[in-house]
Amino acid sequence: MTTPEVYNLPEQWSEELKDENGEPMSKSEFKRRQKANRLAAEKAEKEAAKAAKAAAAPAKPAKEADGPALEDDSTEITDPTAYFENRVKYINAKKAKGVNPYPHKFHVSMSLPDFVAKYNSLEAGQQLTDVTVSVAGRIYSKRSSGSKLVFYDLKGDGSKIQIMADARNSDLDAEGYAQVHNECKRGDIVGVEGFPGKSKKGELSIFPKKFAVLSPCLHMPPSAHFGLKDQETRYRQRYLDLIANSDVRSIFFTRAKIIQFVRRFLDTRGFLEVETPMMNMIPGGAAARPFVTHHNDLNMQLYMRIAPELFLKQLVIGGLERVYEIGRQFRNEGIDLTHNPEFTTCEFYQAYADYKDLLDLTEQMISQMVYEIKGSYKIAYHPDGPEKPAIEIDFSPPWRRISMVSGLEECLKVKLPADLESEEARLLLVKLCEQHNVNCPAPQTTARLLDKLVGEFLEEQCVNPTFICDHPQLMSPLAKWHRELPNMTERFELFINKREVCNAYTELNDPLKQRELFGDQAKAKSQGDDEAMFVDEVFCTALEYGLPPTGGWGLGVDRMTMLLTDTNNIKEVLLFPAMKPEEQGGKKEDA
Amino acid sequence: MLLQHSLPPQRRHASFRTSPQSVSARIKHVLRSTSPAVEAEPAETKAEKPKKQKGEKQPQQKGGKPAQSASSPEEVRAVRLQKVEELRGQGQEPYAYRFDRTHFTTELQEQFAALENGAHDESGAVVSVAGRVVAKRVMGKLSFLSLRDDKGQIQLYVEKAGLDAQQPGGFDLVKGLVDVGDIVGCTGGLKRTDKGELSVVATGLQVLTKSLQPLPDKWHGLADVEKRYRQRYLDMIMAAEVRDTFRARSKIISCIRRQLEDRGFLEVETPVLESVAGGADARPFRTFHNTLRRDFTLRIATELHLKRLVVGGFERVFELGRIFRNEGVSSRHNPEFTSVEIYQAYADYSDMMALTEDLVRACALAVKGSTQISYQGVDIDFGAPFRRASMAQLVQEAAPGLDFEALMAAGREAAAAGGPEAAAAVLAKAKQDAEAVLQAHENKEVRKSLNKVRSAPSLGHLLNEMFEALAEAGLMQPTFVTEHPVEISPLAKPHRSKPGVTERFELFIYGREHANAFSELTDAVEQRVRFEEQVARHNRAFEERKQARAEAGEGSDAEEAEEDYEVAVDYDFIAALEHGLPPTGGLGIGVDRLVMMLTDSPSIRDVIAFPLMK
Repeated sequence: MTTPEVYNLPEQWSEELKDENGEPMSKSEFKRRQKANRLAAEKAEKEAAKAAKAAAAPAKPAKEADGPALEDDSTEITDPTAYFENRVKYINAKKAKGVNPYPHKFHVSMSLPDFVAKYNSLEAGQQLTDVTVSVAGRIYSKRSSGSKLVFYDLKGDGSKIQIMADARNSDLDAEGYAQVHNECKRGDIVGVEGFPGKSKKGELSIFPKKFAVLSPCLHMPPSAHFGLKDQETRYRQRYLDLIANSDVRSIFFTRAKIIQFVRRFLDTRGFLEVETPMMNMIPGGAAARPFVTHHNDLNMQLYMRIAPELFLKQLVIGGLERVYEIGRQFRNEGIDLTHNPEFTTCEFYQAYADYKDLLDLTEQMISQMVYEIKGSYKIAYHPDGPEKPAIEIDFSPPWRRISMVSGLEECLKVKLPADLESEEARLLLVKLCEQHNVNCPAPQTTARLLDKLVGEFLEEQCVNPTFICDHPQLMSPLAKWHRELPNMTERFELFINKREVCNAYTELNDPLKQRELFGDQAKAKSQGDDEAMFVDEVFCTALEYGLPPTGGWGLGVDRMTMLLTDTNNIKEVLLFPAMKPEEQGGKKEDA
Repeated sequence: MLLQHSLPPQRRHASFRTSPQSVSARIKHVLRSTSPAVEAEPAETKAEKPKKQKGEKQPQQKGGKPAQSASSPEEVRAVRLQKVEELRGQGQEPYAYRFDRTHFTTELQEQFAALENGAHDESGAVVSVAGRVVAKRVMGKLSFLSLRDDKGQIQLYVEKAGLDAQQPGGFDLVKGLVDVGDIVGCTGGLKRTDKGELSVVATGLQVLTKSLQPLPDKWHGLADVEKRYRQRYLDMIMAAEVRDTFRARSKIISCIRRQLEDRGFLEVETPVLESVAGGADARPFRTFHNTLRRDFTLRIATELHLKRLVVGGFERVFELGRIFRNEGVSSRHNPEFTSVEIYQAYADYSDMMALTEDLVRACALAVKGSTQISYQGVDIDFGAPFRRASMAQLVQEAAPGLDFEALMAAGREAAAAGGPEAAAAVLAKAKQDAEAVLQAHENKEVRKSLNKVRSAPSLGHLLNEMFEALAEAGLMQPTFVTEHPVEISPLAKPHRSKPGVTERFELFIYGREHANAFSELTDAVEQRVRFEEQVARHNRAFEERKQARAEAGEGSDAEEAEEDYEVAVDYDFIAALEHGLPPTGGLGIGVDRLVMMLTDSPSIRDVIAFPLMK
């Protein structure tokens, strides 16, 4: 390359204007350069003050006269469209010159967390010039100091270090150095080879010999100061959220830890992890509205599963005595703070166990999980968002156990009829709902009325982990009748912060009884309760081959994650939550 | 894991399903070794040994209900329903709530391995076992039950005097109310029979779950494969190797997960319900969300979401999960299947080859204890470095006259010198040569590719078709097929030194694709161009077929029209790429096929617990 002549920017832009390479210069590029020059001039004056302010600047950089100050964040184009066009032009120009702006490979010898771990103990000003490491990551900020020194903040894998790019350490000549560093922008992915050290101010840094942009960021990244707060954008463009908000990352590590914990807990107890179908002819195992889809080749309507329960129980019948599945369920229902159309559950089934065994196991699993992940049984939680007051949730076992109907009777100071399935009982519940201003939309079946009252009076008490037990049979068509309480079942739900987190029961394994209860569900469906269960004859047949006494259990992984990440919106714990279609042209949301 | 050690050796070595003959032979073998009592009944054992273990043992139940003899399943069910009532009448719940098991059967087999034939355990141990009764014999005041649990099998030695002393009426219960198929719990001490069978000497025996349906007489002997898949639980009850397959499946998945976690990969979950199906070329399932009032498609790959996460700074991520493709069902295809996709920042496709070898080897070791395995009678060696060969090279090996590297170079030169028409001429000539090779081929199946070859829109597509026609099926030993043409690899980075091809590989074993990987395309500008070309090409072909059908005047083209589907560009993904994806290596492995390979299963339906059936 020839020695560059100093290129003087004219005061006015014109169509004929050419840049230093003889290429036509766009108006935005002209403006950018104009601004760059102005800022560079201003900066030269403020050099001393700035050097003092820059936290990591080791010393006042030598102010040398042989080149213009390097571009940095302060000279960024501020119009997003112009910014993007300018960057596309830059990569196209590279390609035209036969330079690949997206290198195939950069060898990383050390992750940033390892770099920090290894060199954080260096003294301020200490440099290990005989050590060579190569690291890579994304540039979060860029500050230049004259023409020979640029500071970058580099982040990768959740860690941050400084790049102190001093022309004197670079393998490149002055021109190459200036080009490389002028081309690199905030947001770019870069690879750096150099030696570790600390600046005089004590900032852990890498001092590059080699520096390469590996993948340019074509868009203006979110501002370093203001970050990215807009919720819509955060969820729709999660990658931007992850780039801008470092705490978001940790949510997903906690999520992974919760799942790992559950898996390990079950694996060590001899459970086998299995996979059952997500698409079925009949959506069984829960009461919920399913998604419908169609298989073209078989010309067959299929439902997305709403629960894996009926399949897992078939595996227990088949002789796999302890099975579990962690996976996605789908419910075609509204979206709110605790509901997403697809969500993750863990269900396990243990032959020869009953709900009492599972009560103890649940207490053990969840309290140990909380202790392992949070370091304490007590956690702080903001039920109404970070701005509102926090509460404490105490997971120390043992947990409170409330028997549902007697709990409700106590709260409401009434005695419910022994035969809950009678019309008399239903009318009493209607009256109670009216008395207490509890709204139960039609159809006002006994199960739905009870559910509303329990929600209003019992679940409200359950801030610390609490088991609500012994649900009436008519609310629990897959649970086994209670061995002591007539018309009730051996079932529990675990509530934490007033929300259901687990649901478990001694499984109903009497095939005749199961058929009868399915029949009741079919009746409820015909009465307009479209959340009533579908009847699964295949499952009933399987039961006739004999399901051992079995305890079955389900956990809402997303809700558990919300609790342990102190978030009150399920969208915060899903990487890509379901969103309404975007109201805009161009990018079509719906295919 | 407990499971591996738990099976008696003859079963651990039993190869997976092969032919009905060999299976029944093995079952005989198992029976002989575990149920000496069976052999005391020559009349039946000689004639129908496989039946012994499973069948309703009516003829032997001398004290049982005569109504059961030679009865239909409906009749059996009616009799068993009576027994349900009888049990309840005796104050015994035929569907018990729980049972305290002290030992799995295999734990007892290990713990009392030293007990000699004919000897009673003198330690006074009292154990409780539970499981399904798979065989029953009554001989006067003595009855033998074979009990099977999750891990293995043991004999229950029921002596009238011994049981009745502890549980009055116990022997009559066993004799009259316990059937093959029931789940029972049994407590007692231990002895080994004269014939060497370790047995629990019952001092307590309880029906835990009364079964209503008789277990089938024959299973593998019966060619009803359909029934095996539809009633997988029966398949599992009847055949130990089926349970073993699903244990192996779990082990393989857990091995993959552990390997990746040990390397610092984070497991994540990305949506199944997507607005645009991307990351592969396949017909998606569609569904509708009621309250959002919008269509969704089910994911056909996890790729585009996972790469967004790498953009977001998760440098090593993977997802192990279900993928959905609205395509035909076959021995290698189920509409939903499991894949693992892995993305590693700052790695390229060579790194991914090393990772693939590591993962496959680790899984083989975890399941088979060896890197030398046998699949459908073919020895497969995972121990040696996998062969690497380019797609063009493999086609040339099969058809020495077809040098695609030269053809593609000629195509580029022609395009540069004479424009699209000159390039088209090169393509036309190449097609002629390719057709000649196919037409001369002795294999009829290979000749079937003629149509696809004729309609190949580019040299790249042509190369791919010729590879599939000539080379793929012969790749028995693990082979990395590399350097796929750009035209068929819209998400892969152009090769760093070879024009026209990409940094990509597919792993083939036994002629089947097992993995697909690339240096990911990180150039957002080029990605947009490639997507738009791909979509345009796809939709053009879609329109052409529609047109053709209309012109042919086919009245009911609805069914055929469903064969087609439109695709769209995922602009959100391009926007993510525009924010900078680091150089990244990506790898996808088909988990079901890997499980097939490592369990020697011929069909994908053998490794999916509940495959989709018509």
